[in-house]
Amino acid sequence: MAVLDRAPRGHRPNPGRTPAPVGRSSKRPFTVRRGLGLLGFLAPALVFVAIFTYYPLLKGSQMAFQQWNLFDLRNTPFVGLANFRTLLANPTFYTVLEHSVVWVVGSIVPQLLIGFGLALLLRRHFRFRGVYQALAFFPWAVSGFLIGILFRWMFNGEFGVINDLLRKAGLIDTNIAWLADPTLAMFSVVVANVWYGVTFFTIMILAALQSVPDELIEAGALDGAGKVRTLFFIVIPFIRTTLLLTVLLRVIWVFNFPEIIYGMTGGGPAEQTHIVTSWMINFTSQGDYGLASALGLIVVGVLVLFTSFYLLALRERDAR
Amino acid sequence: MNRRKFILGAAGLATASVTGLTSCGSSGGSGSSTGGGGGGDVTLQMVESLTNPARSQVLKKLLGEFEAANPGIKVQLVSPPTEQADQKIQQMLQAGSGADVLEVRDLTVGPFANNGWLYDMTADVQQWAGFGDLTPQAQKYSKHTDGKTYFIPYGFYGLSLFYRTDLIEEAGFSAPPKTWDELLEQAAKIQDPGKNRYGYAFRGGKNGNGNVVAAIEAYVGDSIDRENAFKIKSGQSIFAAPEAQAAVDTYFELFRRASPPSSVAWGYPEMVEGFNNGSTAFLLQDPEVIATVSASKSITKDQWNTAPLLTGPSGKASQPVATAGWGVAKASKNPQAAVKLVEFLSGDASTTFAKENSLVPIQKKAGADAFYTTGPWASYVTMTEQPDTYLTVVQPRGVAWWTEWSTMADSDVQKVLIDKMSTADLLKSWDAYWTKKWNG
Repeated sequence: MAVLDRAPRGHRPNPGRTPAPVGRSSKRPFTVRRGLGLLGFLAPALVFVAIFTYYPLLKGSQMAFQQWNLFDLRNTPFVGLANFRTLLANPTFYTVLEHSVVWVVGSIVPQLLIGFGLALLLRRHFRFRGVYQALAFFPWAVSGFLIGILFRWMFNGEFGVINDLLRKAGLIDTNIAWLADPTLAMFSVVVANVWYGVTFFTIMILAALQSVPDELIEAGALDGAGKVRTLFFIVIPFIRTTLLLTVLLRVIWVFNFPEIIYGMTGGGPAEQTHIVTSWMINFTSQGDYGLASALGLIVVGVLVLFTSFYLLALRERDAR
Repeated sequence: MNRRKFILGAAGLATASVTGLTSCGSSGGSGSSTGGGGGGDVTLQMVESLTNPARSQVLKKLLGEFEAANPGIKVQLVSPPTEQADQKIQQMLQAGSGADVLEVRDLTVGPFANNGWLYDMTADVQQWAGFGDLTPQAQKYSKHTDGKTYFIPYGFYGLSLFYRTDLIEEAGFSAPPKTWDELLEQAAKIQDPGKNRYGYAFRGGKNGNGNVVAAIEAYVGDSIDRENAFKIKSGQSIFAAPEAQAAVDTYFELFRRASPPSSVAWGYPEMVEGFNNGSTAFLLQDPEVIATVSASKSITKDQWNTAPLLTGPSGKASQPVATAGWGVAKASKNPQAAVKLVEFLSGDASTTFAKENSLVPIQKKAGADAFYTTGPWASYVTMTEQPDTYLTVVQPRGVAWWTEWSTMADSDVQKVLIDKMSTADLLKSWDAYWTKKWNG
């Protein structure tokens, strides 16, 4: 990708300045005073990151091995792997894991396809393109919980706008109980998530498309490539890295994104739309932070494994 | 000053600022109230939990009256969004700062007291002349299971049946239902999905188990243990009582014959909206809905009313009272001023608060107020006047596993609704759950 392939700013040749003499390092010698100065610069950020990122992370990891219930914080003994054993012995754990896969795949594939389509449309120059872009990017600014609540009302069987539109279009005679049926409920939450997540793909892909040199496309056209061939043999290979990294990011985010489900169905009916992270919220609302933290660590493990395999597969493909 | 010195100086200043801020943050020590310099002024922080804008306005007005009557005490009201409020309060209590007076709910008093975060008001309450003016119910709920007073209720929530006067008349009934069986009969007759009209606003979503339990408690009215409404007098759980099966069968029949199909997923907002927009005829809810329905643009004042809670075959109903109130943080630096505020809010001010928020009041004299004896509130007076029919019972809402129970029970209710569990299995599961918990 052109954006990523560019040399970092600090290493760009600058003809306006005299280059450093050959054989002489431009680095200044390290001194304690200079080190302290650098540390002084870094300290605020380090303190901030340590307090707000690493401390909660370590504390959460520690709690996963404790009996840590809000009801009795004066008694939080270490219980070894008991929290993990409790989770693994619960059949719901495997159900929510399965739902998480459906949630991620069901959301990301349409998000990618629609996002790609929108980005292609928005790349063209037309009047009020900025307005259209702003409208297309708007969902990304809305809170996940709010989207959940909005879609919960839209999909309401009796008072929702979806059934009303379907009735008016003559497509249904009786109301569909979208959130009452397990399959339809999962479909509904995925639809809400697709609506929300398309924007991210659009933003990322549009940025990548704008880096594709016009000369390349013109050269393809001169060689007789039609629109479809240009897309699949010039544009997509050119922005491949962005696409793959965006998919990876989205997999991690969507896996960790319970807000819409929590706002729309609360994981119901009968836990049929719970994913791992929405199920985790149940434990925190029950005050059982030990179980919630253990589940959190399992999620981290799953995502680290997935990311490793994904990146490894990419590297091997690139090597071929 | 050369460039290097300037940069180093700036970095040092930034570090000092950050560490300074950090130490400022931690120097609060315990307690949050601030003593003013010299004048002896006290500023109390008060945190509410069940926040809504209208309620906060009422509270601010009452706090203004308190400040006028108590020069030298200022109160700052903190109103976090309801969804995060209890978590914020917990963080404040855990940190020992940010709250002097706080809203304590029957669901949170257990963990808060158990963790030693609440100030024990027992001695203060014994000396407070106003305590005798509280209803017996308010006095009873002021005492925790360990006999100490951690909060004084500001009002009570209790179920009544909201019904459409015009729809039951159209369906040929002269009076609202008194029993669960009559409710099923009337609601089923009114149900007409073709006209987008439904009999009963069924709660299948969050906290849907509450109404199932209410039905069971009505059916076991003769044998219920009033101090632990999940038990019958023999010591068994109510879910193992022989009458429980008929109760759940009748209740779930309400869904099949008289409720919107999508109510499997209905929580509080959908139920209230269903009644409020005129599409459902019956709604079992707490009195705060009176204010909401009174403001409805779809149904007029003459089209609805409330009736007492439904009875079972025993002719009795069990009213599972829910409550919340005002307590004091143990870490408060000014517990005496904080207790003074709690006593003020539990006096005459509590009746204003209860009226404005549609709550059953805690003051004895409020029962004679015309506001409570007429219109939709009259059913609550009826229930109070007939304590042998409408039993006031205590559910074990303060136990550590209450939220776990509620989540599990809600899921089971939905399993029955989508035909993944039988009512007999639901009762078996609930009985096993409570028996196991009670046996430790």
